[in-house]
This record gives sequence, C-alpha cells and structure tokens, in this order.
Amino acid sequence: MLARVRSLLRALLSRRRFEAGMTEELRFHIDQYTEDLVRSGVPVEEAGRRARLEFGGINTVEEDCREARGLKVFDEARRELRYAGRQLRGNPGFTSAVILTLALAIGANSAIFSIVNALLLKSPPYVHAERMGTIYTRVTGPRGYDARHNLDGEQWELLRDHVPALISAVSTRGTSGANLEAGSHVQFLHAARISAHYLDVLGLQPALGRNFSEDEDRPHAPNSAILSYSLWRNVFGSSPDTLGHSILLKGEPYSVIGILPEGATTPLNADLYTAIQAGREGAGAGTNFEAIIRLRDGATWQEADAELNRAWSLRTGRYELKDNPGAQVSFYCVPLQKAETAQLRPQALTLMLAAILILLIACANLAGVTLVRMMRRAPEVATRLALGATRWQIQKQFWIENLLLALAGGAVGMGVGWAALRGLLLLLPEHFLPVARIPLDGRVLAFTLAVSLFTSVLFGMLPALAARKVDLRSSMSSRAVAGAGSQTLREALIAGEVALTVVLLTASGLLIRSLIHLETLPPGFNPNGVIVAKASLDDVRFHDPAGLRKLLEESTAAMRQIPGVQNAAVGISLPFERAPISGDLTISDGPAAGRQVETDMVFVTPGYFEALQIPGLVGRSFTERDGPDAQRVAVINQTFARKFFYGVNPLGHYLEKNLLIVGVVADVAVPPGVDAAAPLTGEQAVYIPYRQVDAQTLSLAHAWFQPSWVVRTAGPVEGLTGEMQRALAGVDPTLPFSGFYAMRDLQAKTLAAQRIEVALLGAMAALALLLSAVGIFALVANLVAQRTREIGIRLALGATVQNAVVQVGRPGVGASALGLVLGLILGAGALRVLRSALYGVDIYDPLTILAVALTLAAVTLVATIVPTLKVARIDPAATLREE
Amino acid sequence: MSKNAELLPGTLDMLILKAVSLKPLHGYGVLLRIRQISRDALEIPQGSLYPALYRLEHQGLLATDWGESENHRRAKYYTLTAAGRRRLREETAGWNRLVSAISAAMNTTSEEV
Repeated sequence: MLARVRSLLRALLSRRRFEAGMTEELRFHIDQYTEDLVRSGVPVEEAGRRARLEFGGINTVEEDCREARGLKVFDEARRELRYAGRQLRGNPGFTSAVILTLALAIGANSAIFSIVNALLLKSPPYVHAERMGTIYTRVTGPRGYDARHNLDGEQWELLRDHVPALISAVSTRGTSGANLEAGSHVQFLHAARISAHYLDVLGLQPALGRNFSEDEDRPHAPNSAILSYSLWRNVFGSSPDTLGHSILLKGEPYSVIGILPEGATTPLNADLYTAIQAGREGAGAGTNFEAIIRLRDGATWQEADAELNRAWSLRTGRYELKDNPGAQVSFYCVPLQKAETAQLRPQALTLMLAAILILLIACANLAGVTLVRMMRRAPEVATRLALGATRWQIQKQFWIENLLLALAGGAVGMGVGWAALRGLLLLLPEHFLPVARIPLDGRVLAFTLAVSLFTSVLFGMLPALAARKVDLRSSMSSRAVAGAGSQTLREALIAGEVALTVVLLTASGLLIRSLIHLETLPPGFNPNGVIVAKASLDDVRFHDPAGLRKLLEESTAAMRQIPGVQNAAVGISLPFERAPISGDLTISDGPAAGRQVETDMVFVTPGYFEALQIPGLVGRSFTERDGPDAQRVAVINQTFARKFFYGVNPLGHYLEKNLLIVGVVADVAVPPGVDAAAPLTGEQAVYIPYRQVDAQTLSLAHAWFQPSWVVRTAGPVEGLTGEMQRALAGVDPTLPFSGFYAMRDLQAKTLAAQRIEVALLGAMAALALLLSAVGIFALVANLVAQRTREIGIRLALGATVQNAVVQVGRPGVGASALGLVLGLILGAGALRVLRSALYGVDIYDPLTILAVALTLAAVTLVATIVPTLKVARIDPAATLREE
Repeated sequence: MSKNAELLPGTLDMLILKAVSLKPLHGYGVLLRIRQISRDALEIPQGSLYPALYRLEHQGLLATDWGESENHRRAKYYTLTAAGRRRLREETAGWNRLVSAISAAMNTTSEEV
C-alpha cells in the first residue's frame, strides 16, 4: 500500500519525467523489434509498419500504463477541471455574475455573522464565564417590566450577607471622569468604583499587589486604588515603586494596592478602580449600583434565585410597588453574556435576518441564471449524449463547474467579508460593543464555507436534474431551447427576490425616516455656534460650595471676556445628554399638590438658557441674585408644567416646600431618563441654580456627572479652545478639560445606535436592490438573445423597434411589479417587528412606500432597458439570410 | 502457430516476474525472454506487456533503473524487489499445486473412480 502511494506520488510530482520515460521506453521497444524484423529479412519500411501494428495503438497502451499507475482519476479530474474552466471563461458574463453574487452574499453574511457571533454567541473573556451573571427584576401587574436590576445600599448588604450560593460584587454603572495629579500636570481619566471581590468574580488577580479587602471596602475606610496596566505604564512608567505609595486622585491621596495584568478587561474598562465603600447613605440611598455575581462551586442558579428572593424580601424599601397596585416583584440571575448583550440583541437579530434575506435573493438569482444557462446548453448536452457521454458524466461536469464557481465565490466572499467587517468596525464608535475586538474567526469561516457549499448544491441541482430530461431528438433538431415552463419559473424567481428586496428597502426606508425624525426633532435650543468643554469636579476642593461657586463664577466670567464670545455658562448636563434624576420631588401646591414625581434635575449657572438659547416661556431665568442665601428658586420646562400643573400658571407655586417656581422654559431634546419612550424626547425637567445646591448633593452628583462649560460665539473664533482652557487655568491651574465638543457631536453620540442600524440595513437594502437588478437584467438579456431570430423576422415583417422592445421587456417589468405587490403585502406583516425601533413614523408610511416603489421602478427600468438596446442592433436582413 | 499455447488469464504477471528474476531486463527483453524460456510456445501480446510492467512496478514488485542496452541505447531495466521475489515464490507454489491438481484430475480414468 505504501509502495503504491509512493509510486503514485512520484508519478504525480514529476509527471513530465514519467511521460518522457514512458514514451522513450515504448519507442525503444518498437525500434528494437523493427531491427529484429529487418535482421530476419523483412524490408525496412515493411518492418517499421509491422512493428507498430503488432504493438497496437500507442495511445491506448500509454493510457493503460497511466491507469496502471493510478493516474487515470487525476487525469480525468484535471481534464474535467480544465474543461469546466474553459466553459466558465468562455462565458464571462455568467461567471462574473455568479461569482459577484456569491461574493457579495457570502461577504455580507460573514461580516454580519462575525459581529453577531461576537455579541451573542461568544462567551465573555473571563474564566468560567458561564458561571457569572447579573440580576434582573421582574415586575408583574399593570405597569410590569423585566429589566436589569440596579441596587441600593440596603439591597447590596442583603445580597452580600444573605446569599451564600453566590460570590457577589457591585460597581458603579459605567465609569466617570476623575483628575489624577501626576507630577507637574493633572490628567483626566476614566475611573470606576468597585466593591471587594469584584475582581474575584471576574477571576482576575492583579499582576502586582492584591485586590480590595473587605475592610478597605467599608464606608469611611482609607482611600485605596487599583491601576490598570496601561495607566501604570503610561503615567507611572511601569515603576514598581508605585505599589504601596499614594497618588493624588480627585484632590485626595489614595494608596495604590494593586496593578492589573496587561490586557485584563473588565465590564467597566476603566483606567483606575477605587473601592466603592457602599453603605446605605450617599450613593447607597438610591439604586446606583450594578451587581455582578459568580455561582459558587456546587451551587445552582435555582438555589441562588431562591436565596436572593428570600434575602430581598427583608428589604424596607419596596419602591417597585409604588404606583403599581397588585404587582408582584421577583428577582432572578441572568448569565452575564446575555445581560451584557441584551440591548444590542434586537439590532443584531434584525441584521442577521436581513443577511438571510440577502442570501435568499442571491440564491434566487443564481438559480435563475443557471437555469437559463442550462437551457442554452441543452443542444450541447444533447450532442454529448449522442456522442456517447453518459448522463452521469454530464451531471458530473455540471457539479464540477458549480463547485469551481462556489469556491471562487467563497474565496472572493471571504475577502469581501473581511473588508466589510473592517468597515463595520470603523463605523462603530469606540466602546460601543461590549467585547474588546472582533476577529473573523474559525467558526465564521466554517459558516461561510457551509453557506457557499450549500448554495452550490442548491443552484447546481437544477441544471443537473434538468440534464436528465433533455430529449435527444427535439433538442438537436430545434434551436428554440427554453421551454415555457422555465420562463415562468424564472419570472417567479425574480418576483420572489424583488419581494424580499422590497421588504428590506421598506425596512431601511422606515429606519431612515425614523432617524431623520430624531435628527430633525426641534432640539428646543440653538445648537449652532456653541462649543462645549467638560471637566471632572469630583474633587475634594469642590466639595466646598464656596470653592465651587468661585470656580464657576470666575471661569465663566473669564470666558465671556474672550473676544467673539457672546455668552458662557455651566450646566451639570446638556441637551442630548442624560441628566441627573430625582426620584421623589414633592410638588407642594397647585393642582397636583402632594404628588411625588420623578424628574430630571439640572444644575445650571446664570446665563445657561441664554447661552444655549433655550426660549423662556413665562417668568424669568436665573440671575446673579439667586445666591446661596436668597430664596431658593427653580425653573421648570414645558412638559413639567403640562404634566403637573394642567394649564394652571405654575409661577409662584412651590416644590419641596420652599423651592419657588420663577419661570418656565421650552423643552429640549434629551435621551430618556424617566420614561424610555424614544432615543430623544422632551421629558419633565427642573432647573436649579448651581449656587443653591447643598454640598452633599453636589459631591454625589459630581461623582457621576462631568459638568459642561457652554460657550456661544457669533462666528468661528480662532484658538477658542485654547482660550477656554486658559480661562479655566486662570482660576484653577490644576483642572484639565477632558475634551471639547460641538452640540452635533453630542447628538451623534446619543443617536449612534440608530445611525449604525440605518447604515448597516441601508447598505444591505442597496445590496439586495443591486442583486435584484442583476436578476432582472439577466432575465431580459436572455430573452433578447433567445428571440433574436423571432424579433428579426418581426422587424422584417414591419414591426417597429419600440414594439419589439416592449415585447421583450414586458416579462422583466411584469415580474418586478408582481414582486413589488408581494413585497408590500409581506412587509405589512413582517415589518410589525420593527415597530419598537421606529419613532415618528408608522410602518404603513405612504411616503416610504412611494419611495420604495419609485426606486424599484427606476432600477427595474434601467435593468430592463439596457439589455433591450440590443434589439435596435438586430439586422432583419441578416436574420432572414440565416433562415 | 499451432505450437503456441494460449496465455491463461492472470499468468502474465507471473511470467514477467519469472523472466526478470533470472536477470535484469528491459521491456523488449522481457518479451524475448518469455518466448525463449517457454521454448517459443508463449507469445505475449505486445500492447499488454507495458501496462503489466507498470502495474507490477506500482505494486512494488519490480524496481526500475535506466541503463544501457546491448546496442548502446538508453533503456529502462526492470529488477525484482524483495517483495517481488516473495510474490514469485508464492505464485510458483500456487501454480504447481494447480497444475498437479488439474493434471491429476485430467488423467483420471474411469477405473479409478
């Protein structure tokens, strides 16, 4: 056996030597024989002839020798491949249409699938991530919901102390800005606060030092910090002395107790971690923490859920049941990966669905194109059958051609997929995906290959099956090849793919309309000519209200002095941004007296409304006289007035006993904090002068929010950001701005998810349209080619070119029109799932439907007319001569 | 040609191995040698000689080497490998058993039954 393989390999690898040796050996034989014959008296010419004759056909002998060597299979395969290659090269239109279709469909699929895989299938990068989780709340009743649970201090203590099935930890929700003094300058960085065991839950051990101990995590314990590896390297030069020493963070000394290993990721991905020191006071008084848990060895999720519900039944605060009579509350653990990706899941699934539609459209195209090709090749098949080829040989030939096409398409598709994935990832904002990086991994490649092979089988089957039905006599005698049945089938395929295209087009059209709606929502202020700078005030120096007042007043005054600047102010949050929320603001009098309401609370300096040009509706805005010792005042927005004062003039009424409403301003667009109705809404808000906020509230709010300095200019000002930084440094030389933004940047950031979905789905709809156009084009082009003779005769008999064009173009237009109707019907049902992603537009949006119909009509006309241009070039005389 | 015996199916390989076992030969030499050792009784069809040689080489029973012929031309010489020698022994033994069994059968008279 081994000897055979070796001999076969030798013959295969040095094939030329094998062939030359064989020829030489056989020639030697014949020559020797001839010589012997001559020697025995046969004349020379006669000897040569006889030697060759007795030897037999030299080609047959050579062929038998090759077969003896096991080369026959390879020779046949090579011959068939060469033949298939020649067939494909001889038909560049067909070949490039198929490879392009395959490449686009497979490319789009593998790019999308890579992202879906990374989001939904791949487990997070932690040890035994399947045993990690977080906690969800399920509330039943009229105002029920099912969502990720945020904890307050009491719940955290109960979870930590009374749920033995879990190792539990909490952290802040996301990171917040902080200032780190490193040598001569102060650096802005992203800090997160975590409890003891947080890193244990993740299975992370510091590269140097240790994790937070339970003592360090108690309220009022000494400050300690753990650094990320990159911060340690970039700021502290990887000095081992950093450990155990103290750094100046947020204006206070923190001792460094650990340094994370290189490349370690956490769900927070902060530059620096401090102990959260959560109690029931301060941040612990509200639901400001996020839990992360790990199931202990031997415990089950059922046990954990039971212990959790028992532990939290001991709570004193049952806020879920407020305004929700008869509701039931329960809690349950959810695997970390599911929770982390829950928000992106609908988008990812929508895209995956779109990718499947693209694949279906591509398959319809391929089937149609291959069908035509088969019909055109019927005479060839018949000839080969007549010449003695078996049906199996012919089918094999088709399979080989299809396999070649599928492999070529798959290879190009992988390239397209790689490029598309790069493009998609560039499109995504940083930290948008909860996973660090997305490679085009092995599973994706396997999926791609499977799709490619499946497609090959699917569309290769049609002609292979059709080959069984070719009737010898009729195919050879008649040149009219395509039967009426195949024409109907093609038109049905085109109608089907157009219908799917219409669904995709409508979906992306609706999303575009929705995005336009959101982007053109009246923002409620004038975003043009405003520049914004942010800084972290989470710093002991600004916990003192007098120090903060000085900073805000003097820095805004200095910025107003910059030439070209019209106004400057500070707000804790801006339009297009989440605002701090008060959960229980009491309305003291008026029609809703006594009600406790949830509302945005925005701390602002005088000039905030003027700088942003938020129109005042009634009353006044804040002035320098609204100081710490003056009457406490508030300005409410229009929604607050409408919701809680029912048309009564709110001026002169009080909130929180002694907070006097002095003005009403227009709503501005913000991401929802109170009521998740849309990505941008105008929700109830109360504005409070910064100078009247008490120290404790300020330090709490500044731990979460980085206030913004807003500067309005009349026109572009050269070097404005530098001037703003100088103005701030004039008051506090150690306070850095974290960055400068235009209002449009903030809006884009808020609408990033919508924008990406529109871009992705739009691209896929365009791809579907392109594929459909290729399908219609191929259909009509084929009709023209088929009917050249018939059209020529008609033209010779006096028909006009227009008549002929209309006649061959009709099936393409007809199939497309049928597809449009089918697609609209299909869309009416299928697009209902999109409803939750649409804002300001209904799924039965006439404008979108009209746009889809017009786009499709235009593309159909182009795809139909271009191939019919050939009709004008048909020469009736030539056709008649041919007859 | 009446003195020629029919070549039994399956015996060509055996004859080639035998011929080559006596002395390394080129293909034409194999043809001559078989004719010689069968005393001109066996005539190998020339067309089927080479496929058989290639098959035996492929099976590792024959080895090949390019050498010089009697009249100083380059020629491919076949020699027996160890496996080929083993095969020849088995085939010879099998053939002898077959021959004696068949001749015993064919020479049986009615009295011996």
